[in-house]
Amino acid sequence: MADLLSILSGASTSLAAQRALTATASHNIANVNTPGYARQTAVLTTLTPAEQVNGAFIGRGATLDTVTQARDRFLEAQIPRALGNAAFHGAESDALQAFHGLDPEATGGLGSAVSGFYANLTALAQNPSDAGLRTSFLGAARTLAQTFNRTSQEIESARSGLDARANGLTSQINSEAAAVAQLNVQIRQARGTGAEPNDLLDLRQTHLDKLAELAGASPVPTSEGDVNVALRGGVALVAGSHSGKLWTKGDGQVPPHLDIGFTQPDGSTLGTLPKTAFGGTLGGTLSARDGALLTSEQRIDQLASDLAGAVNTVHSTGYGLDGVSGRPLFTLGVAGGAAATIAVAITDPGQLAMAGAPTPPATVAPGDASNAQALLGTESAALLGGKDVRSTVSDIVSQFGSSSATAQAFSDQDGALKENLTRMRDSYSGVSIDEEMIKMQQAQRGYEAIAKVIQTADQMMQTLLAIKT
Amino acid sequence: MRVTDRLIFDTAILNTGRTRDAAQQAQEVVSRGTRIQHPSDDPAASGMIISFNLSSDRFAAISSAAAAASDELSAVDNALDGIGTALSRARELAVQFSNSTYSQANRAGGAEEVTGLVGQIVANLNTRFGNRYVFGGNRDGASPFDPTPGPTFGNYLGDSAARKVEIAPGMLEQSNVLVGSMSTDPANPTGVLNTLKALQAALQANDPAAVQATLDSLDAGIEQVSTTRSQVGASMNAFDTAISAAKTASGDDKARATKQGDVDLIESSIRLQAAQTALQASLAAAAQSFKLSILNYL
Repeated sequence: MADLLSILSGASTSLAAQRALTATASHNIANVNTPGYARQTAVLTTLTPAEQVNGAFIGRGATLDTVTQARDRFLEAQIPRALGNAAFHGAESDALQAFHGLDPEATGGLGSAVSGFYANLTALAQNPSDAGLRTSFLGAARTLAQTFNRTSQEIESARSGLDARANGLTSQINSEAAAVAQLNVQIRQARGTGAEPNDLLDLRQTHLDKLAELAGASPVPTSEGDVNVALRGGVALVAGSHSGKLWTKGDGQVPPHLDIGFTQPDGSTLGTLPKTAFGGTLGGTLSARDGALLTSEQRIDQLASDLAGAVNTVHSTGYGLDGVSGRPLFTLGVAGGAAATIAVAITDPGQLAMAGAPTPPATVAPGDASNAQALLGTESAALLGGKDVRSTVSDIVSQFGSSSATAQAFSDQDGALKENLTRMRDSYSGVSIDEEMIKMQQAQRGYEAIAKVIQTADQMMQTLLAIKT
Repeated sequence: MRVTDRLIFDTAILNTGRTRDAAQQAQEVVSRGTRIQHPSDDPAASGMIISFNLSSDRFAAISSAAAAASDELSAVDNALDGIGTALSRARELAVQFSNSTYSQANRAGGAEEVTGLVGQIVANLNTRFGNRYVFGGNRDGASPFDPTPGPTFGNYLGDSAARKVEIAPGMLEQSNVLVGSMSTDPANPTGVLNTLKALQAALQANDPAAVQATLDSLDAGIEQVSTTRSQVGASMNAFDTAISAAKTASGDDKARATKQGDVDLIESSIRLQAAQTALQASLAAAAQSFKLSILNYL
């Protein structure tokens, strides 16, 4: 038969269980704003009856069985890819949106420089002996060359900025990967005690989310309870208690940009990884650098080279006021891209070859505009790319805009998917203060009731003691 | 759906951020007056804006060049007018002094006036427009008719090149006239200046028959000036038409470029109002959702 002391003992255990409920609710409330925190639930269980009285088991109260955390594995499995894709297209879109060197309405852009070049040539063709018009046209040619230089430099500057960002991202990824590897060890040790280290699991999940965002890396849980992390293509970034390391080095090109290399978790060097190995912010950054920006830079280089070639071909057949022929108007550098190095070869406006070949013994006539008219023909002539200069400039701007718009559309789409999944995660795993306050009230009521039990048992004990006296 | 506190606050952050961004963008569109801030806003329109602007600027340049050519031809016409007037006066003198009633002294006075007319015509033939001699062909940097007194006075130093100016992309119109045949070169014995020299010599020699012999050449010279002025008029008309057409084309292309990028102010103002209303509603809803908590009732 249950004695009064066992009632007191059971009540004491039950009080502890109610305190655990309150403590868990308190822990949840305290972490209501902690990123990555999944709400915890204290699970109580009935204490197994210790004795049988007249064939009936009399219970001994309640005790804390375990503390679980609320995570939906279905949602969690989808989130890394969603985070990676949203970060990839977000980073790519942001990088392209930040580049304004090809804005159609901007003054001083490539379009207005080409326009100024041919407008000044048109004026000069009307009166090639006018020194002022010659000087103006030479200035317009310089402006065109410098606009090519500046546009190329702006693109290169944007690409170099993305290199700097990629470099910073590799450091962040290395830190996050090291943190996951370290947490794998700590979680394994904590599980050795038989309890589930929920807060460590939350922390590891936070780092895994960060790796998904930064590098598009996917978590790969193991049967030992570790979580390995793989880059796109299956390269292991984290393997159990060891993490790999990303590093950057120059690609040897002119101008130079960064390649990303990898040292595996076992310490062996894998060398340079392809850009397709990275998703997330790093992948999007590299995609912007080597995608739309590089394509625009190459097409502007091609335009500068083709236009300079076409103009030079005509210009070199004409004659300057000094009677000299065979001079190019533009020069192109050997390395570094045509747009970056194009310059005007002539400094004396009199050397501009606006005249055609004089018939000996006549010398060059200053008013001869026959070669100027021929130069005007380069505006509508097809360049090597098959389109004239106006269509080519227009096409470059449209293509860059189209790439930026596509990146933005993907960013919006993937952002919405990520947002939906994270909302569902918040809904399932997040803390509701209303809920926790009610749970605390519930635990408090239980605690008060059990206290009454103790009070009652104590009174019964007093009654018994009073009989003896 | 289970609503957590994080969900409430994250949703509030997200929604107010979105509506504020939309309001900001709508405001930027209205304040800038253009809907294209970046090529990605409308890639096709961005390319077309560049193309239309280039075309517009090219037509504007053609219009300016044609206007300069037209102005130059106007100066040519004025010079030819002066030459025509001088020739008419020379013809009057030739008719007058071919009459035998005039004395040697009278003819000597006429010869002196003809000498002045020759100088006047050479000065007209050396007319400059800006820094350019308009009657020298491509050799427009120096006087095309030798102004130095002496045996080569009035010789033609220019060339016979027809200068041309664009009136449309790839289309050229002659912008000068060739009057080298008026010079004192021996190759042009009946040229205007040689005829006047002959008239001056005949008057000086008091030879009425020789004076009368210059009349046909003087008539031919007056006719040459008249024909040349007609050519100038035709070219000026061509340039004036080109100026008008190029200005229209330039304006049309500029309007097309503007149409691609410009906003409809009424529509964008309404959108701005809608975006600001949405922002107000979003802020109010967020603030309201924060107020509802069991903490207020315990």
